[in-house]
Amino acid sequence: MMNSQNVLADNEQLQKEAERVNVAIIGSGFSGTGLAIQLKRSGEESFVVLEREHSLGGTWRDNHYPGAACDVQSHLYSYSFKPKPEWSRVYARQPEILEYLRDCATSEGVDRHMRFDSEVLGAAWIEESNEWLISTANGSYLARVLVTASGHLSDPKYPNIPGIDDFKGAKFHSARWDHDTSLEGKRVGVIGTGASAIQIIPEVAKVAGKLTVFQRSAPYVVPRMDREYSTAEKNMFARLPHTAEKLRRDLFWAGEARFPQRRGIESFISRVEGLALDHLADQIKDPDLRAKLTPDYAIGCKRVLISNEYYPTYLRENVELETQGIERITENAVVMKDGSKHDLDALIVSTGFETSDLPISHRIHGTDGLLLADHWARGEQAYACSTVNGFPNLFIMNGPNSGLGAGSIIFVIESQIDYILGALDYLHQNGYTRMEVTQDAEMDFAAMIDRNAQGTVWLEGGCKSWYVDERNGRLSTIWPDFMSRFRDSNGVFRPEAYEVRSLAEQKV
Amino acid sequence: MSLYPDLKEGTVVVDGIDVRFYDSQRGNGEPPVVLLHGMEGSAEKDFWALFPMLAFTRRVITFDFGLPKDGQDLTLEHCVAQAQAVIEKLAPGSPVALVGYSFGAVVAEATAARKPDLVASLVLIAGWMKTDRHQLVRNGIWRELAQSGSSALSDFNLYSSYSAHYLCARTERDFQEIVEKSRRSSISPVVIKLSDNIDIGAEVQTISAPTLVVGCIHDQIVDVSHSRELFGAIRDSRYVEIEAGHAVVQERPAELFMLIDNFVAAPHATSPGDVYATSTP
Repeated sequence: MMNSQNVLADNEQLQKEAERVNVAIIGSGFSGTGLAIQLKRSGEESFVVLEREHSLGGTWRDNHYPGAACDVQSHLYSYSFKPKPEWSRVYARQPEILEYLRDCATSEGVDRHMRFDSEVLGAAWIEESNEWLISTANGSYLARVLVTASGHLSDPKYPNIPGIDDFKGAKFHSARWDHDTSLEGKRVGVIGTGASAIQIIPEVAKVAGKLTVFQRSAPYVVPRMDREYSTAEKNMFARLPHTAEKLRRDLFWAGEARFPQRRGIESFISRVEGLALDHLADQIKDPDLRAKLTPDYAIGCKRVLISNEYYPTYLRENVELETQGIERITENAVVMKDGSKHDLDALIVSTGFETSDLPISHRIHGTDGLLLADHWARGEQAYACSTVNGFPNLFIMNGPNSGLGAGSIIFVIESQIDYILGALDYLHQNGYTRMEVTQDAEMDFAAMIDRNAQGTVWLEGGCKSWYVDERNGRLSTIWPDFMSRFRDSNGVFRPEAYEVRSLAEQKV
Repeated sequence: MSLYPDLKEGTVVVDGIDVRFYDSQRGNGEPPVVLLHGMEGSAEKDFWALFPMLAFTRRVITFDFGLPKDGQDLTLEHCVAQAQAVIEKLAPGSPVALVGYSFGAVVAEATAARKPDLVASLVLIAGWMKTDRHQLVRNGIWRELAQSGSSALSDFNLYSSYSAHYLCARTERDFQEIVEKSRRSSISPVVIKLSDNIDIGAEVQTISAPTLVVGCIHDQIVDVSHSRELFGAIRDSRYVEIEAGHAVVQERPAELFMLIDNFVAAPHATSPGDVYATSTP
């Protein structure tokens, strides 16, 4: 990783060249684009969205693997302030979601604020002027307020398997799909059986000569109740917008009612567990195969997946499920712990993302040059899931404890947008230029999270998941309460937790 | 019963009738919530979802209304006495957050009017205070189907309990589960008879507890107009409508939970006469 301190070494020169803005947003996915839209609607014009790639879209730009689709219904997985009556189906697929996000940016005029190919190399708090100095691959910026909207599922994580770099065939992560590599007739391996993998596996099976799936632990899979919307329905949603709003509320409250599954309530768990295990039994009759596909941990400990095509894929002649555990990888094969070997032409790595140690935290320096990643060395935490002591005027979207076990991340994102807009308004109304959450408030908030996390399936379900930080055993990525409580707690800015100041000569 | 881990169960005898109660025991210092179930129900049938949701943060108590032996009539006095006995046994000396659903709301109204010292706050879900012609027609059909032993009775209950949209949006599996549940449940004729003759409008006007009235827009058993009138009758009340049928405890339990949990935590955070807007998630 680039040393962000060095990047910022020539501070004065960078400041001289920098473009000055009120708000800089890192990332142009659902978080960054949504914030940009609401900022602009609030009348703010002085902001930039810094994007490392050459187009917007975040997760939905990067994950274009075959079969990519959302696991949340589109009428819920979309901005409440940009409804789309024409969603083609209940669960839209990746191209339609990406197109939606692009349309949102264009129609709201925020695309003009986006700076592409502008990977943030480092950001440093300048105490003298109460600003963030941000160095990018394409120019520098001075911003009163910095927002990281760089996602939780954006930097691919590769498994630490001996010899993986020696593999000579085609090899790529599912979030960096190489469409130039034809898998037609090839011997293909897929490592992982998480949310991306179970969408990829049925598609690869259709073209590969032989597909071997390397599974560490079996996921729970429930039916995907997907269908196309009829023309009548789409027109109804357009002509009677309250019908689409009602659908959104139905979907939201149905998700909200699943939360007790995560809190050990037997009546809730048995229903969803029955749904998943019956789905498996319906689709897989062979008892040995079914046993391999049966999870060995409590449901909900990892994400519950939805698919109708995943299990039947294992009934194909050309597909094999391998559960022995990988020993090492050679130039052309994967060797199992029992000594058996799978010769492969291509290897698809679908093992998730860097979640507990957010890459952006290695590039942000707060007061006294403190690196956010060092501040978080023993695990991430943030007040209201948004702000960190020692990092004034910084807001983190989709950061600590902002993930959900069942529900739409868009709800979280919109809550955080409201929070940030509330804070900006507060600064502006009072002429303050610096706000920093107190250490006490941050610690109390973390203690509250820890209390709520007790008794949840994520800590007690007997699985290893990305929801829990290996460094301290804390539930650091997921919100351990109802989604509504996220909005109550973290969607309304409350100044009491902050120390605020103003530069007399310099007002927002 | 599996409402909640470490549930305490027991029985109190009221007017010679056994009343089975359930108590989550642990609380947060705020008044415990006491849930009163509906006509068709047992506490578990109505509150299997609501009880655990509330019990994550506060102490929750509920009980099954006991019916008189030997076919004697059930009276509203019986029901109020049962609520009083459970409250005084499990939470003596401190008022509770009383939450009534459907017929349980009627009992909650009478309890709040007659025993104001027991009630710190009141939530009335799909309740009423004076039985109307529409309800009498329904009760008449119910009686006819029950007396003739018709297999249509459970379908009639299902048809009138749930909103059309909710039923149609279920998966086949979930729908079958609802059908099965409906077949297993039954309403006692003495409860139907009592519900024919509710007329406590004058008493309801004397309720002084801070109150949240929850009406269900698609309710075909207790029309939403009853909730609107309750809102008009109770001085210190606020009002909210949920997009659900009478079976709101099945259709939108999480929304109901959030409304109850927020209200009982701070009953005066909103003002008398407030109407809650429908939130956009």
